[in-house]
Amino acid sequence: MNEHSRILEREKVDIAETLREADLRLPAVLPRESYPIEPVTPDARQQTRAIGQRATRADGRLHGLGQTKYIDDLSFPGMLYARIKRAGIASARIKRIDTSAAEAMPGVMAVLTGKEIPVNSFGPSFQDQPVLVDDLVFHAGDGVAAVAAVTEQIANEALEKIVVEYEPLPAVFDPIEAMRDDAHKVHAPNSNIYATKVIRKGDVDKGFAESDHIFEGRFSTQMIEHVSLEPHAAIADWDANGRLTAYATIGRITLARSDMARTLKLPMSRIRIVGTVVGGNFGGKNEITQEPALALLSKKAGRPVKGVFTRGEEFTSTTTRHPIVMDYKTGVTKNGRILARQIRLVLDGGAYCSWSETTLGKACILSPGPYKIDNVLAEAFVVYTNKTMTGAMRGFGAPQVCFAYESHMDDIATALKMDPLEIRLLNAFDEGSPSPTGQVLHSVVVKETLRKAADRFGWEPRS
Amino acid sequence: MTDVTLTVNGQIRSASVPPETTLLQLLREHFNLTGAKLGCDVGDCGACTVIVDGQAVNSCLMLAGQAHGREVLTVEGLATRDRLHPIQQCFENSGALQCGFCGPGALMSAKALLDENLNPTTQQIRDALAGNLCRCTGYTKMIEAVQDAARLLRDEPRLKLTHA
Amino acid sequence: MKKRGRGIACMWYPIGFTVSANPSAATVKVNEDGTATVLTGTVETGQGSLTVLAQIAAEALGIATDDVHVVSADTDTTPMDTGAIASRTTYVTGNAIWLAAEAAKAILFETAAPMLGVKVSQLEAKDRKIQVKNFPQRNVSIGEVAYRSQVVLGHPAIGSASWNPPTVAMDPETGQGKPFATYVYATQIAEVDVDDETGEVEVLRIAAAHDCGTAINPMLVEGQVEGGISMGLGMALQEEMLFDANGRLINPNLTNYIMPTSLDMPELHVDIVQGFDPTGPFGAKGVGEPTAVPTAAAILNAIHDAVGVRVTALPATAEKVLAAIKAKRAAEQPKQIPA
Repeated sequence: MNEHSRILEREKVDIAETLREADLRLPAVLPRESYPIEPVTPDARQQTRAIGQRATRADGRLHGLGQTKYIDDLSFPGMLYARIKRAGIASARIKRIDTSAAEAMPGVMAVLTGKEIPVNSFGPSFQDQPVLVDDLVFHAGDGVAAVAAVTEQIANEALEKIVVEYEPLPAVFDPIEAMRDDAHKVHAPNSNIYATKVIRKGDVDKGFAESDHIFEGRFSTQMIEHVSLEPHAAIADWDANGRLTAYATIGRITLARSDMARTLKLPMSRIRIVGTVVGGNFGGKNEITQEPALALLSKKAGRPVKGVFTRGEEFTSTTTRHPIVMDYKTGVTKNGRILARQIRLVLDGGAYCSWSETTLGKACILSPGPYKIDNVLAEAFVVYTNKTMTGAMRGFGAPQVCFAYESHMDDIATALKMDPLEIRLLNAFDEGSPSPTGQVLHSVVVKETLRKAADRFGWEPRS
Repeated sequence: MTDVTLTVNGQIRSASVPPETTLLQLLREHFNLTGAKLGCDVGDCGACTVIVDGQAVNSCLMLAGQAHGREVLTVEGLATRDRLHPIQQCFENSGALQCGFCGPGALMSAKALLDENLNPTTQQIRDALAGNLCRCTGYTKMIEAVQDAARLLRDEPRLKLTHA
Repeated sequence: MKKRGRGIACMWYPIGFTVSANPSAATVKVNEDGTATVLTGTVETGQGSLTVLAQIAAEALGIATDDVHVVSADTDTTPMDTGAIASRTTYVTGNAIWLAAEAAKAILFETAAPMLGVKVSQLEAKDRKIQVKNFPQRNVSIGEVAYRSQVVLGHPAIGSASWNPPTVAMDPETGQGKPFATYVYATQIAEVDVDDETGEVEVLRIAAAHDCGTAINPMLVEGQVEGGISMGLGMALQEEMLFDANGRLINPNLTNYIMPTSLDMPELHVDIVQGFDPTGPFGAKGVGEPTAVPTAAAILNAIHDAVGVRVTALPATAEKVLAAIKAKRAAEQPKQIPA
C-alpha cells in the first residue's frame, strides 16, 4: 500500500472525529479578513491557531529564572576590563595627551587614543562622530582615551593617570542661538544647521485668509535619556586568523558590522557581531559606541576586553531624545474645521548627527497631526550644540510634536467652546485621506481609537 | 583580604575577597550567580536586589564582609528542579518581564513582600516595588503578577516553606 | 485643594524608515518532524519580537508557537536585518519570515500533493497537518511530509526571503511622496488631580486605545502600551537632563534624573483597536513606539482642564504648574487703581 492509499484508508475511518478536531477552536463564522483576539487559552503556545494568542515568551522563562545571559554576565578566560576617559569639557582642542603613566601601571595591558583608530568617524547619516576624540572635543561626554586592565578598579585608576591638556574653545548650548550667523560653529566651517526638511501642500496664506480664526502657540520639550536598565556593554576578542568577534548590546547588528568594518578597515567577512538579549534599547543602542575602541584594545593586549558603561556615562555619553522648539499657527473655520497649519520646528541636534536626520524627517511629516488639512507648510531644522548627542529615541520626534499639536488643538477647542473630542472627530483622517505629503492613507482607524478610548474612559461632553 | 562565609540559596559558600568588594560583586563574580544585576552601583535602581536575612536589600550597597554569617536568597534560589516558584510562574504568565534586566531584582522584592504579607493591597505592592526601576513594562503587569502569586500562595500552604 | 481634569490626545505614527530601504531577510527551515527553526538577524531588545516572529512562522506553517525555535542576532549565522528600530520588526521582519515560511511550505506542498492525490493549489497547512481545502479529512501530518520531503525525496523544506517596505522618495522642495508603507493610530485619555497649592500632578487613570493592525500577541501589545505610557508620563511630568552654564550635566544619575516608579503609574485601561492591514503579515502593523507618543499631550491637556493653565514647556514639574497657576491668578485679579 503506498502513501496515498494509506491516507485514503485512514480518512474513511473517522471523518466526524477529524472534522470535529479541526474546527474546535475556530469561531462559528470567521470574518473574511481578520484575526480575532483569542481568549486566554491554557498553553497558548500549544495552539495551532498561533495568531492572536497571548503566548508567553520562551525568553521570559529564562528571565524569571535569572538565567538570561546579558553581555555583563559573560566572562572569558583572560578577559580584561576597559574604561573610557571622558573629556569633562564641552568644547576644546586637545593640546596634549600623555598616557605614559597609565601604561606603566601594573595591571594595565593596553591604552588607546583617537589617532590610533584607522577611520575615526562613524554615523548613520553623516560620519561626524569620532570613536575617540583625536583633536576637537565637541561635548563633555566625549571619550578621549581608553584603557584595558586586569580589573575594573585598576582601569579606573589608570584613567586618573592619563594627562590631557585642553585648550578651551567657545561653545554654544542653545539651538535657537546656534542658528544665528554669528554663533560659534560647532563643526566649523559647516553651518550649525546641519539638516532641514520642508513639507509644502496647498497654500497656507490662502488658507489663513479664508479662516475665521487663527491661533498660534509655541511649545518646547526637554532632553531625555533612554535609561535602559542595562547599560551599554560589549566584549571584543580576536582569533588567530585576525577575525574579530564582538558581543554587543546593539539592536542593529548588520549596521554595527558595517560600522566596525569601516572604522577598523576590515573586510566584513572578518567580523562577527553577536547580540545576546538586550536589556532595553528604546533607540539608544542602535549604533556603535565603544566597540571599535574595545576591539583595538583587545588587539593590542591579545586578550578579550569587556567594556560596560557606568550609569553616569549612560547620561553623558550616549544618545538622547531631541529637545524641540515648536511653533504652530492654525487657521480654522468658526465650526472648528482646520483650513491651514504652519509649523516651524527647531531640533537641538547635540554634538553629532547620529539619528537626527531621521528624527527631523519624521517630526516634520507627523507635525500637522492625524488631521485632514488642505494647506500645510512645515519647516524643520536640526542644529548642532555642544551638548550630549541627540539620536534615536522611541518615537523619533513624534512624542514632541504630538505634545505640541494636541495641546494646540485643545487651546483651539477651548477658544471655540468646542468639546475636545468633537473637534478631533471633525478633523481626523478617514480611510483614504491624503497625508501632508500627499500619500493616500489606508487602514486608517484614528476615529475608531478616539471613540474607543472615549467610551472606555467614560468621556461625556459637558453642557 | 576579607574572608566571608555565608549561606546562599541554602548552601554554605565561602570566599576570600578584597575588603571593598560588594555583596553584588561577591555573588556575580565569585559565586557565578549572575541573576542580580549591576544597573547603577549606587542603590538607585534596584536591579541588584537580593534578600538578606529576610529583608530585600540593594546588594550593591552592602559590603561582602557585612554579609558574613548571614542567609542570602537570590533569584537562583526561587525555583526547584521540578517547578518554578509561583512568583516566577505568575510573572511569566502575565508577561510581566520584557527585557528582563530588572526582573531578578523585582522578583526578590516581591518575594520579600509575600513572605511578610500574603494579602497585600495594590498600594502595598507598589510600595514594595518602588525601589525597582523598570523602563520596559510600566509596572502594571508586575503588580498583576504579584496579586496572582499572592492568591496562589494563599491556596498552597506547603509552598510557603521554600528555602530561606 | 485638588482639582480634577481630563485630557485627550490622538496620534499617528509610521512603521519603518523614512523612504530609505530598510529590508529584513529571513530563513525558515522545517525540520524532519514538522517543527521549524527560523533564522533572523533581528535582535530581541525586550519587546518580545522573537515570540511574535515565532507566532507568524507558526501560523504560516500551520503549527504551534512552541514548535518554532527562533535563532537571532548573529551576523555569522543569521541573515541581514535592518534591526529593532522604527517599530518595524513585526511588519518588515514579520513579512520576510512569512514569505520565507511560504517558500518552505511550497516545498512541503509539492511533496504532499501526490500523497493526497490533489493539486498543490488545493492544499493548506493547519493544525500540524497538510490537508485539502474544504475537505480536511484528507490530510497527512506535517511531520510525515517534512520527513518524506527531506529524507526520501532529497528536497529539504527550507525557504529564504527578504522584504522591504515600498516607498516613494519625497520631493526636496515640497516633501510630497510616500515616505512609509503604513501608519498606526492611537488615542489616550488621561484623568489627573492637580493640587492648586503645590502644583503637584497625580495621574489617576489613562484609557488607551491603540491600533496595531492584527494583534499577533495581545499580551505583548498591552506590555508595549503600558511601558510606553510610563515613558510618556516621565516625559510629561518628571524627566529632564539638566546642563550647567558650561555644558556639563548636573544630573547624570538616577538619584536626580527622576523617572517613573511603580508609585507613579496610574490605573490603565488598554484597548487594542482591531484592524487589518493587507500589507502586513496576517494584517499586522506595529506598536513599539506609538505607545509613548500621545501620553504627555493627554496629561498636559488634563492639567489644562483641571486648573486652566497651559504649560507649554515640558516637563510640567510641580514648580512650573504652580508658577502658572499663580500667574493666572495674578492676571485675573481686578486691577487696583490707586486712589
